[in-house]
Amino acid sequence: MFCLFYLQAKEALENGEVPVGCLMVYRNEILGQGRNEVNETKNATRHAEMVAIDQVLKWCHEKGRDRKEVFEHTVLYVTVEPCIMCAAALRLLNIPLVVYGCQNERFGGCGSVLNISQDDLQHTGTPFQCLGGYRAEEAVELLKTFYKAENPNAPKSKARKKQ
Amino acid sequence: MLCHYCDAALLEKVLEVDSNVFKHKCCSIGIMEPQCKKQKTRVLSTFTWEVTPVLSDEKLCEVELLEAFAAPIINKKQTSCLIKQLTCLYPLNNLPHIKRVRNCRDKSDHPLEIIICLLQDIPNREVSLNDLFPEGKANGLGEPFRVRIPAYQPLTRSQFEVASQHWPTTFRENKQVTDALQGHLFNTEEKAKMQTFMEKAIEAATVGKKMGMEPVGAVIVNPATDEVVAVGHDCRNGPNPLLHAVMVCIDLVAFSQGGGAFNHNKYHNCCFKAVESFPGEHAINIGKPLLPSNDHSLRGNIVNGLPYICTGYDLYVSREPCVMCAMALVHSRIRRVFYATSFPDGALGTKYKIHTKKDLNHHYDVFKGLMKDECQFLLS
Repeated sequence: MFCLFYLQAKEALENGEVPVGCLMVYRNEILGQGRNEVNETKNATRHAEMVAIDQVLKWCHEKGRDRKEVFEHTVLYVTVEPCIMCAAALRLLNIPLVVYGCQNERFGGCGSVLNISQDDLQHTGTPFQCLGGYRAEEAVELLKTFYKAENPNAPKSKARKKQ
Repeated sequence: MLCHYCDAALLEKVLEVDSNVFKHKCCSIGIMEPQCKKQKTRVLSTFTWEVTPVLSDEKLCEVELLEAFAAPIINKKQTSCLIKQLTCLYPLNNLPHIKRVRNCRDKSDHPLEIIICLLQDIPNREVSLNDLFPEGKANGLGEPFRVRIPAYQPLTRSQFEVASQHWPTTFRENKQVTDALQGHLFNTEEKAKMQTFMEKAIEAATVGKKMGMEPVGAVIVNPATDEVVAVGHDCRNGPNPLLHAVMVCIDLVAFSQGGGAFNHNKYHNCCFKAVESFPGEHAINIGKPLLPSNDHSLRGNIVNGLPYICTGYDLYVSREPCVMCAMALVHSRIRRVFYATSFPDGALGTKYKIHTKKDLNHHYDVFKGLMKDECQFLLS
């Protein structure tokens, strides 16, 4: 089951998105599967985690379940350490545990750039535990493949323009 | 029947009949005619608020000093030779901002003084020239003495002034930062515009508050044209607890570019956007847009003839963004953020300064205090 979020990441790559995929599992049931959808939606906040969160919210709505109780018992499996934004979002929803592949040196919010998962933030939900390194090499390989090809939607960097 | 926003009778100009919500056309874009007239007089009045820049800790900190040895240059002709010699013997690799030689302050018998090395470079604390130059080539130097020199390049004028009292350094002045620190960055006309945009955010916040949301509103503006691109208010107590006002606005900008992820009509019609040009422009009668035309950051705005997410745009938000929203603005490449009141877990000054975080790939300017009292009132 846990390989599924790597398939999500591959699907993102095939669609020209940053290859990050995730799963949200509530009591052994997959409630959400997400992959990066930033370029598709022209919304830079549509990271895999945010997409999966929306699916869980939809599930709760359809099943008439209390979303607070559901998120408090949901584990996130994600190929890359959640960014600062997603880490804050996960806190706000009181998700207790995140299992991730490789570290996110550029944006990581679970220790790499900031430690949003553990910092003392009284008004931002509850801190969560992190387990990193699950099939990390695979996650790094996917990212490398993507960044080799460059993000076609990003504006050209100033340095490159001068050439 | 009453309008959903202004509670006035709906006779005509009904825009939407969706989910049993009706509203005036003018309300749907958040602008009502009489307000434009009000702005005309406000330009002449003074403002009850002041914006202060939220600068990085590096820009605000005290000048840090390092202990060093310096010596007078007795023979002025030896100066360039001494510089070469010392650069080899004691390179100040991590201190490129330090000027090795300075003019002597008290205009005594020797006109110049030179830094020999940092105190930490040598084991003994009390030294003579012989200790400093084991090979004995220190021609033209006087007795060494201890000085304190600035550890970092000054980033603001006030840091530069303090640093210069100790030892001369290079300083590349950022005129914007100097002006901002002195409160001279925005003129009356610009402030009038900023106030109009923030009023729009407050208006949206008020609507949200009535619906049981957190009283936070936000507006995204294209400062090159003064167009309001998106207006939104907090929706966290609706179906999606992550739809804070900033997240709503970011998605509405995506909609304005043919994308978007949420159906904002479903959320009780509480979010809306306006792509019409900003009507206040006419009333305020100002030729110059808020963004100076020579600003290079605008260049990255257009990709294949289309704007790229929030590049080049400004955000006006009634309350300091949380971590999630502040980072969402980094990802969205916002240009500037103006907020009114602080938030205990705020990420743009209170708990973090995400907009100045060096490791991140995008940075933006942040100003706080715009219409602070009005927004404080909103929160009460």
